[in-house]
Formats: sequence, structure tokens, C-alpha cells
Amino acid sequence: MPIYLYLDRRTFIHRLHPAVKILTIVGIFWSVYWVDNPISLLPIAVLLLAGAQLTRAWPNFYSLRWLFILVIFATTLTWIVFYRQGKPLVHLGPLFVSRASLEYGFGRGIKLAELLATSVLFLSTTKVEEFAFGLAEMGVPYRVGFAITLAFRLVPLFIDSALTVVQAQRLRGYDFDSGSLMTRVRRYVPVTVPVFMGALRKANNMAMALEARGFGYSARPTSYVHYEMRTVDVMMLLGVIVLAVAYFLIYYSGYGAIAPR
Amino acid sequence: MSELRSMWGNTRMVVLSAISAALYAAVLVPFKVVPLIPGVTELRPANAIPVVCSFLFGPAAAWGAAIGNMIGDFFGGVGPADIFGFFANIVYGYVPYKVWQVLARGQEPVIRSPATAVKYTVACLLASTFCADIVGWGENLLALRPFLMLGNAIVFNNMLAAMLLSPFLLAAIYPRVKAGHLLYEDVMPEQQGAAAWTAPLGLILLVVGVFGAWTAGNLISTGYWTPHALPASMTQPPYDRAIGIVVTPLVAVAVLGLGLM
Amino acid sequence: MKTALENHQRAEAGGAEAAPAVALEEVSFTYRSADRPALAGVRFSQRAGEMVGVMGAAGTGKSSLARCLNAIIPGFEHGRFEGLVRIHGRAVNGSRVCEMAPAVGMVFQDFEAQLFSTNVAHEVAFAMEQVGLAPHEIRARLGPALAAVGLAGFEDRDPTSLSGGEKQRLAIASVLAVQPSVIVLDEPTTDLDPEGRAEVFELIRKLRDRGLSLLIIEHETEEMRECDRIVVIRDGRIVAEGPPERILSDTRLLNESGIRPPGLNLVLDALGIEGYAANVDEAEALLRRALRVPARFEPEPDFAPLSPAQPQPAATQDTPLVEIDNLTHVYGGTVRALDSVSLRIDPGEFVAIIGQNGSGKTTLAKQIVGLLQPTAGRVMLAGRDRSTLGAAEAAAMVGYVFQNPDHQIFAGTVAQEVAFGPRNFGLPPDEIERRCDRVLKAVGLDAMRDKDPFLLGRGERQRLAVASVLVLQPRLLILDEPTTGLDYPQQRRIMDLIGELNRAGTAIVIITHTPWLVAEYARRAVLMRKGQKLFDGAVRDLFRHEELLATAAFRLPEVTALSRHFGMVALNAHELAQALRGAL
Repeated sequence: MPIYLYLDRRTFIHRLHPAVKILTIVGIFWSVYWVDNPISLLPIAVLLLAGAQLTRAWPNFYSLRWLFILVIFATTLTWIVFYRQGKPLVHLGPLFVSRASLEYGFGRGIKLAELLATSVLFLSTTKVEEFAFGLAEMGVPYRVGFAITLAFRLVPLFIDSALTVVQAQRLRGYDFDSGSLMTRVRRYVPVTVPVFMGALRKANNMAMALEARGFGYSARPTSYVHYEMRTVDVMMLLGVIVLAVAYFLIYYSGYGAIAPR
Repeated sequence: MSELRSMWGNTRMVVLSAISAALYAAVLVPFKVVPLIPGVTELRPANAIPVVCSFLFGPAAAWGAAIGNMIGDFFGGVGPADIFGFFANIVYGYVPYKVWQVLARGQEPVIRSPATAVKYTVACLLASTFCADIVGWGENLLALRPFLMLGNAIVFNNMLAAMLLSPFLLAAIYPRVKAGHLLYEDVMPEQQGAAAWTAPLGLILLVVGVFGAWTAGNLISTGYWTPHALPASMTQPPYDRAIGIVVTPLVAVAVLGLGLM
Repeated sequence: MKTALENHQRAEAGGAEAAPAVALEEVSFTYRSADRPALAGVRFSQRAGEMVGVMGAAGTGKSSLARCLNAIIPGFEHGRFEGLVRIHGRAVNGSRVCEMAPAVGMVFQDFEAQLFSTNVAHEVAFAMEQVGLAPHEIRARLGPALAAVGLAGFEDRDPTSLSGGEKQRLAIASVLAVQPSVIVLDEPTTDLDPEGRAEVFELIRKLRDRGLSLLIIEHETEEMRECDRIVVIRDGRIVAEGPPERILSDTRLLNESGIRPPGLNLVLDALGIEGYAANVDEAEALLRRALRVPARFEPEPDFAPLSPAQPQPAATQDTPLVEIDNLTHVYGGTVRALDSVSLRIDPGEFVAIIGQNGSGKTTLAKQIVGLLQPTAGRVMLAGRDRSTLGAAEAAAMVGYVFQNPDHQIFAGTVAQEVAFGPRNFGLPPDEIERRCDRVLKAVGLDAMRDKDPFLLGRGERQRLAVASVLVLQPRLLILDEPTTGLDYPQQRRIMDLIGELNRAGTAIVIITHTPWLVAEYARRAVLMRKGQKLFDGAVRDLFRHEELLATAAFRLPEVTALSRHFGMVALNAHELAQALRGAL
């Protein structure tokens, strides 16, 4: 089961400095934050689509297509209900729809989808180790980064173990699919307990193996992978700063807002 | 709260945080979730895991919950709330243990009497609500999703898992972890001093902050209360920035309370 | 003057040589909350460059001994410690475990628990990064370390995609890269298949040739013959040590210590021949000399006595229990795990399914039990199509014991665990009670019925897993590698239990890698390779087809291989001894 999004390709975005990638995410999140109306969100959408093309990450977007559709649709609907300004087009009891509320809701939907797309691009182009390296460069302690890496490695192991447990209990007549919500929730016990205990049996061995490999020997271990800041990284960073400033200016000049009409 | 930092010095705790994270994510992925509000939140049996880990591993569970949530989001793409989701999950994995230390120090977190049931419920309710406050607050600060829906869905969602599933898991797992000397108090006995004299005060502040934030968020979100002291542009529906601003000091009070415990 | 200097230098060198690589002086250790010491006054020393094997039953202190070398005891495992440990003359006491990493490398049994990275190069770099080597130094050592374990070119692979043997070699590479002078291998091959085991032991031989001091803990006797010295541990004490020819020929010592005596020596013992055979050829030479067998002697070729462990299968005209017809299984649309396999299993049979990893053994078993649906072909159970059977009907027909007992144990007590299945199927309480009693007696867990299953030993948990499937009274029991991770007495116990069940009428299918298990317990063997059935017939017949076995990387048990030198197929030492005695 492919559970990670990383795609092993060697595009220039893949090879960006991990810290630059993380800062790019921050920059896009920042830019998106300041504006509300769909038009002003459009340039970012174009940038992200170009990113998807450049990194050839389309398979990931394809496999997550329903998530994107759901996010845009559900968010739009929700905010239409909460945004009660402007001249109503429809006003039936609690239901209040105006042109402004449509714009506002749709803007929110696009916003969320853009943030999602940014993360998908990041994950499609960044290995866990690179992520940890990027975090370390930005001052996150080594051991926190290590715990993140280790957790990533353990997830597929535990999923495998959970699927095996489900099979084993099914053969002993265990039925996972019927009954009320409450009984169904409780049915997770015979599956979760073996997975949990198996994991905890490993905990001691893992800690022991870690220390036997010198974990703790130095507070700031060396790193054999090293990413140099290259020209392309600097350019990317400058681009992100320009984008961030531009979006703040859009907000400041009032173009990003929804006109209540 | 210093233990959230000092635990990283202990290899077993590092491993336990990675294992808590991986278990959380591993149960998130293969087990069916029941969507409550599509794209917003869903009934996740996995939400029982941080509560269970909290009573077992204390601070390691806090980091585990945060990292695990991050990994879980990675599978479907990170959402914008994840900076807040990270902190919300630290709280979700940390508060149950912390509250239990004040209310029922030295007792096993296994429900054996009405008194333990009440204490357990209080611990879980505080954790769930605090978690919801942070996500709801953050998302409103960013103006992403309405507090009314998001905040309450998270409380409901977390409590469901914590009340229906966690007690059974704890009853099955706690004695065995104890026998294996992997409880926080066995792994880091040096951390187990007497309760701080400020602990009861901290608990009171926590209760005030957590439920205050939740109440304020709901009242403003539904329009029952309008904080007129704020600029007029914020006191119009959907009130998202108003919520962000009003809830901030209350969340700060809750964090202060946690620090005193 | 010159000679004085030389003398001095020689004394210096001699002095360095005199300090043993490892020295334990009166070491005792009791784990916290344990009532008995794990180590009781152990004295042990190891020369630099020596390869020492440590043997003994599970839980006797082998691992505890090893863990003293890099301060895991008492630096990581807490408890009461006494004594002194020295590595190359330097006292270890008081060191932190991580400080020992540059001096003592340690490889553990559980390969999943000692790999921490998502790619091979990172994994090898990990320990070097921890001890603070400079990045250029790490890069310089990376290649040679991977080459040394035969993993050159694997740098970018995800460790989870490696085979067990490769994972264990990767763990060794990670340790090697730090260049410790002592390497401890704690049951490095217990969880591996024969190929993986051969890979790892080949590597161990290379390490020894490099002059490393090796301490190896291992259950399998055959591999330990290459050690310079073997140490036998019982109840936390060293009860014997010496060269392999002395220790491994002392059958009584081995039996008392829970170590499987090498089959070749059992043959010699049974015939009253003094001596030690390190391999099949030596054993043959010894036998021919002692029995004065002429070089050309060959008994009648089809000589095949039946041992008591091999009763004739009851001939039955019943409908077959399992009938598989041209079964094909394809994973994910591309991987052809089973390719038109047909198979019939009758009531009361004892079948071993053998073959390399990935040959389709487990897929075949999962098809029978219904965890997988056929891509093509069909599976019939007692004359009915598998897919038409309800869960309860199917469970009463065939039971499946997973390789790892911990994948199913969850209940609070042994009795509740066993009752879980029958309760799910809605059996009446008194019937459940009756069945649990019977099954727990059968597996020898009667006295532990109220115990917490998680606190049982591995062998007991394995028997509990068997019991909780057995309680559904299946007519066929399938066991996936039931002896993995068990020591010799535990392996014997579980296999004897399975043998008894078979004699009482339950048909048995075991999936196994262990040659002597096939020889001594199964009557029929099915050999799988690349999703196809290569052989199906009596075990004894299979063992005649050496070329067939070779293509599936299955090695004959040594006793059988020896018997082939005398033109027969013996399945155990007793049989061969009897035959040789009778033939003369």
C-alpha cells in the first residue's frame, strides 16, 4: 500500500534546499492568508498548477482528487451559511445566500484547496530525512527531528501489523462490520491491543539498539547529508519574499477583500 | 511543563514518542472513519490513542500525538490548521496525564469506581475541549473554518473516542506496560517529584481558560454575543476575526494553568 | 642496546596482546523486579580476534552476558549489578551505553527494531553521525561498509523493501562502519529463513578473517561449529566452555542445557563411536573407519525403515478435506504468487509446505483458510466450495495459526483468550467451558489459565495461539512457521504437541524452513517455487531429489545427507544408526 506521497524524481524543485522548501510553504500560507476573494487567489492557483507540472506530481493530485473536490465544496457551503452580508439572492429562514456570500464561501474553498495543494507538492518532492534536515537547519532540536523520522518509518510497520491482526481475529469469528456505533467502536479493542503491545515490546529493544549505536554520544550529531544553499535556492527565496510582500500590498490596498454587495 | 523538554534527554522517551505517533497514525490510516462533517472532521477511533498514551507515557504522548497527527495529515496532505493542529494535539496528549496527576495522583487510570470515572471524564473533557479551543481559535484567526462547527465537532469527536474506546484499551494495556516498566514514572523516576503547590491553582486556571474560550467562541460564532469593544469591521458575520481576538487571552490563561500544574 | 629495545617492544606488544578483548570478572546481575539473578558470578574472557559462541536455552542469561559488554547492563537495563567488565583492559563500569559504541558493536535479533532510517545509506551513516564523525569521513566509510556486507548498490533502497537477511546485513554494516574491535551478535539469524541465515553466517566468517573479536549467541548448532570456542550457559552461569569438538560432542551436556545436539554426532553416539564430525564428509569417514564399511558398500537402495515418528498415514476413502483446483493468485494485478496450483489434502495427513520466501507458501495457506480469494481456480473444503461457506462453518473446517502469536493475543487471561473464538461463534457457555478445559490441557497451559497471556514466554504464547485456534475444533490446522524464534526445547514441545494432535485425527499443514522439522515430523511434503508446485509426495521421496531441493535452496538435514552417502534416505539419527547397524 503506497502511503507516502514522495515521488522519486530529480526535478529542480526536488533538489531545493529543504529549509527553502519549508519557507516556501510558510510564504504561500502567508500570502493566502491576507486575501479573501477568489480572483486574488487565482495567481497562487496558477503557481501551484505550474509546480505540479514541473515536479510531475500529477499522480498524487489525481489520487487525491476527491479530497480536493470535497474540500472546496464543503467549505464553500459552510461559509455561505455563516456569511450573512450583502443583498440576499435567496433568503429562506436560516438560509441566506448573497453574491458576496457566494464569493466569500468559494474563496474559502479555494484557499483551503491551495493550502492542501502546497502540502501535496511539498510531500511529493521531499523525503522524510530532508524534512528533518530542514527542521534542524531552522533550529528544531535533533532528537525531535529524529522522532519524526522514526515515526514515519514505523507507521507502515504498524499498519501491516494491524492488518494481520484483523485477519487473525476474523478467523476466530470476529465481525467488524455490524452493530451499533458504540459496539463498533468497542470492537477495535481486540485489534488495537495486539498492535499496541507489539509496538511496546519493540520500544525497549529499539531504545537499546539506538544507544548501542551511539545515540546520545554527542548532543549535536554530524550529518552526512548536506544541502548547500545554491543560486537557485536564493532565487526561490527571493521569489517567495516578493510574493509575500505583493500579497500584503493587495490586502493593504483593499483589493483582496470581498465587496459586500 | 519543563518535562516536555527534559524528556528528550531519555532515549526510551524519544522512542516512546515515536511509537505513540506511529500508532496514532497507523490506526488513523487503515481503520474506517465515519465523516461527521465532510472535509471538516470525522469520527476517528484513532483519537483514543493519544489519551491512552497520555496516561502511560505523559510528555512522550504529547509529542507523539502532535507528530502522529502531522503524519496522519501527511497521508491526505497537510491542511492549514496543522500548525495549530500540532499544538492542539500536544495539548490533547498532555492534559489527560497532567490533570490526572492533580486529581488522582498515584492511582491507576483504570475506571474502577464512580469517583475514578468522574476524574477520568474531567481529564478527557478538559483535553478534548482545550484541543478544540486551539484549533477553533487558530482557524478563526486565519479565517478558515467556523468555530461553531469545527470546535464542537472536535470536542464531540475526541470525547467519543476517549469515553467509548480509551477506557477499554487502558484497562487492557496499563497493567502490562506497568509490568514492563515502561510507564513514564518508571522510565524517568527522577521527574516524579511532589506535586507543585501551585497545581490546584493551575487546574482552576485551566478550567476557566478552557471552558471560557469554548463558551466565548460558541457565543460569538452564533451571534448571541457581540463584543462591541472591537472595531466595527470585526463585529459582523461571520465574526471569525472577532473570535480569534477574544479567545486569545482565554487560551493564554489555560496554557498558564497547565504550566502551573 | 638494540636487543634491549627489541625486548622492550616485544614486551609492549605482548602486554597489549595479553589484555583480552573482553573480560568479565565475577559479574552478577539481577533485573529489577526479578526474583532470580540473570547472571550469577560469571567469569569470562575472550582473546582479540577470537570467535566465541554462546549457547543455552531461552532465558538463561545469554543476552544478559552480551549486554554487559557495552554497558547496556547496568547502564540501560536497571537492576543489581556486581563485578567488573573490561574491554581491551579498560573498565566498562560506569560508562554510558552510547560511549561504548566505538568500541563494541552490537547486532540484535529483531531487525525491525534496529533500523531507524528510510534509506540504506542513511542507515549506515546513522551510527557514524551519532559518534560525531566528520561528513567526509562518513562518506568515505559508507561504501566499504556496504561492500563488506554485500549491499553495494543498495544505497537508495528503503530498508523495509529488503529481505530479512539483507536487513540483518545492513544492521551489521551500520555497526561495522564505526569500526569497533568487538562485535556482539545476539541471535542474528533466529528470525531468518535458511538463505538469510547462510548469508549472515558467510558474512560472520568474513568478519572473523578481518581479525574482529566476535561474540555470537545462536540456537542453531551446525553454524556454531566454526567458532573457536563455545560457552554453554545455564541459569546465569557458565557450565561449560571449550572448543566445538568437545562441547558439541557432549550430547548429555547439550541435552541438559536445552541445546539441540548436531545430528551427525547423534549418529556416532548411537553407534558408540568416539569422535566428532564437523561436517558430513568427516562423519562418513569416521563411520566407515569404525564400522569397517568397505568404500564401495552400499545397502539396498530403497532401504527405508519407518521410525516410530513416522506411522503410515491412515488410508481413507473420505472426501478430501481440501481440494484445490488450478488455483492462481495475482497480487495487485502483477505479482503472480500462485500459478495453477492443484493440491489435495486428506483427513489425518501431516503435510509440510516448503520453499523459499516468496515462493507462494503463505499465499497458498491463506487461500485455503479464505483470507484471500482466488484470481482463478477454486478451493473446495470437504466437498464444498470455500466461497459458499459461512465463517463458522469454515472455522470448524480449517484453522490457521499465524507466525507471530502476538498478532492475536489481547485478552486479560489465558482462558479468556481461548474462549474468544467460540464466544464469537455463539457457542453455549458450558460447551465453551468444556472445550477450553480440554484444549488448555492439550497444550499444557492448564495451570496458567488465569494468568495474563502477555506475561508468558514466547513458547507459551505460541502454544496459546495454537490453543485458541484449536478450540474451534478444525479438522485441518495450518501453522505458519510455528517454531520461529523458539529455542530447541520449545521447538520440540510445540512440534510434539502438533504431532499428538495429528495422531488424534487433526490434519496438519505446517509451513516451515527448518529441514529437521520436515524430516522428523511431516509425512508428506509440498515443495513450492515461484508460485508453482515443484514436488508433492512423501518426505522421504522428496529427499532423494537433491537437484530439485537445490533449485529451491532447501538443504537436506545433515543426517539425511549423510545417509545419502550410504545410499539410503534416513530421516533421523536413530534411523540411520539402526540401518547401519542392521546392514552390517
